[in-house]
Amino acid sequence: MGRPVHKPRYDTNLMRPYWTALSKGHIELPACSECGAWQWYPLDIPRCHSKAKLEWKGVPSTGTVFAATVVHRCLLPGDHKDEAPYTNALVELDGVNGPRLVVLLEEFADPEKAAGTRVKLKSAKVDGLALPVFVPA
Amino acid sequence: MSRKPTIAITGVGDSGPYQRVDDRSLFEMVVESSRAAIADAGLKPSDVDGILGGSGGPTDELASAIGIVNRRFSASPNASAGGASVGGAQLAQLAIDAGLARHVLNPYGIKLSGANNAYSFHARDPHKADLEMPVGFYGQPVYFALWAQAYKAKYGLREETLGEIAVACRKWAQLTPGSQATAALSMEDYLASPMISTPLKIRDCCLNTDGSASYVMSRLEDARAMKNKPVVVAGIALSAMPVTLGEVFTQNEDMLETAARQSAALAYAQSGVGPQDLDFAEIYDCFTASFLIQLEDLGICGRGEGGDFLKGGTMAPGGSFPMNTHGGHLSNGYVPGANHVVEAVRQLRGERGAAQVKDAEVGLVAGLAGNEHATMILTVDR
Repeated sequence: MGRPVHKPRYDTNLMRPYWTALSKGHIELPACSECGAWQWYPLDIPRCHSKAKLEWKGVPSTGTVFAATVVHRCLLPGDHKDEAPYTNALVELDGVNGPRLVVLLEEFADPEKAAGTRVKLKSAKVDGLALPVFVPA
Repeated sequence: MSRKPTIAITGVGDSGPYQRVDDRSLFEMVVESSRAAIADAGLKPSDVDGILGGSGGPTDELASAIGIVNRRFSASPNASAGGASVGGAQLAQLAIDAGLARHVLNPYGIKLSGANNAYSFHARDPHKADLEMPVGFYGQPVYFALWAQAYKAKYGLREETLGEIAVACRKWAQLTPGSQATAALSMEDYLASPMISTPLKIRDCCLNTDGSASYVMSRLEDARAMKNKPVVVAGIALSAMPVTLGEVFTQNEDMLETAARQSAALAYAQSGVGPQDLDFAEIYDCFTASFLIQLEDLGICGRGEGGDFLKGGTMAPGGSFPMNTHGGHLSNGYVPGANHVVEAVRQLRGERGAAQVKDAEVGLVAGLAGNEHATMILTVDR
């Protein structure tokens, strides 16, 4: 299994706190400062309260796989031939209702059967970037 | 709730054989298909007084190049792909009903060779750039693979079910002049085709196409005196899910339903036609998996029953319920939704020769656009 190499583009600073938290080994998600509702993906203003702000809050780094796919051909711009295959998955974190993280799944004997499996965050740096890599819990 | 139909499709045209690389610009191809559609309607460009915009170039430049000199109505659908090519008919109907225009052109085209490949549209999205691409989650085959996996987890999904769709489309394409992919494709060939993102193989993915397909809509009363048998727009509806295009592939609640559920319900209600009344359907097959989910959303079969329904060549030539009768996006060409409309019109006029659906009177066109969806019900004049 490989890992894709592709840095965030950061057209805005909106998604930076996500990566900053990952670099410290944990996960933060944005919530409405007024009512605490998750706003994922992050927007400039929460959908629930337009006068409120986004507050990034620490969340558990364990959860459950919603769905997973083994990517055999990496379609990122540029040459990524040697980085596939890898497994992309959507993970729902414990106690976080609604948001799903897009992650890499590793250490699964059969990633085709990963849906519904308990997973935890594993620290994994690629080219200086701490990626959201999840492994069986 | 059914409404009396007021418009018809009176002319259809395309840019010629669909190809991986067409040396013409997108603009040239769209002008070509538009002129062909107008001529097919028996009209002159100066008779067309309305034009929809969006995919071919700036509307004023397109209109000018086509020869639409009496332009009184212009509008652009606030949707992409099938939402525009199929759903655009809703704007034409509004304009014609309001007396703002008599003949409205919906030009549509795509050019995936050159600078803009099929994926680059999504790369512009900052959420994808910063949250998805860094883990390699990129490109429509990967997005739709997760839809297929969610379906598989809930209902089960055999490789052969998706294969039925790919193989049937290829057979229809072989009966359709101008199709991009016509080489023989057996179930064995399908099963052996390279994996892109599980469970989607390369033959589950639509073609990359340079091409254009356009159509003209007119007042039904006028259409009855025009060149072709009118193809009546009996229902046209557009609907959207409560998630954005940027969110639909990851944050959509269950991934087992598209906005087709709503758009179909609306279009059926308008037309007084139900899925049991359809003689054929042309369903937006960007992937076999998205075809399957729409098939169920449209009520053509029940939830999770697509595999049983499709088994044994149901949708293929000679099957009991013909679908994607030109070969679809998988084998005719990927002119998002637009070649499906053109095909449905040709079927209802009885022009399809070896691929003609016998006694075709009622057809459905389903146009997916990520989080949005348009359903069109077309009938012969009855």
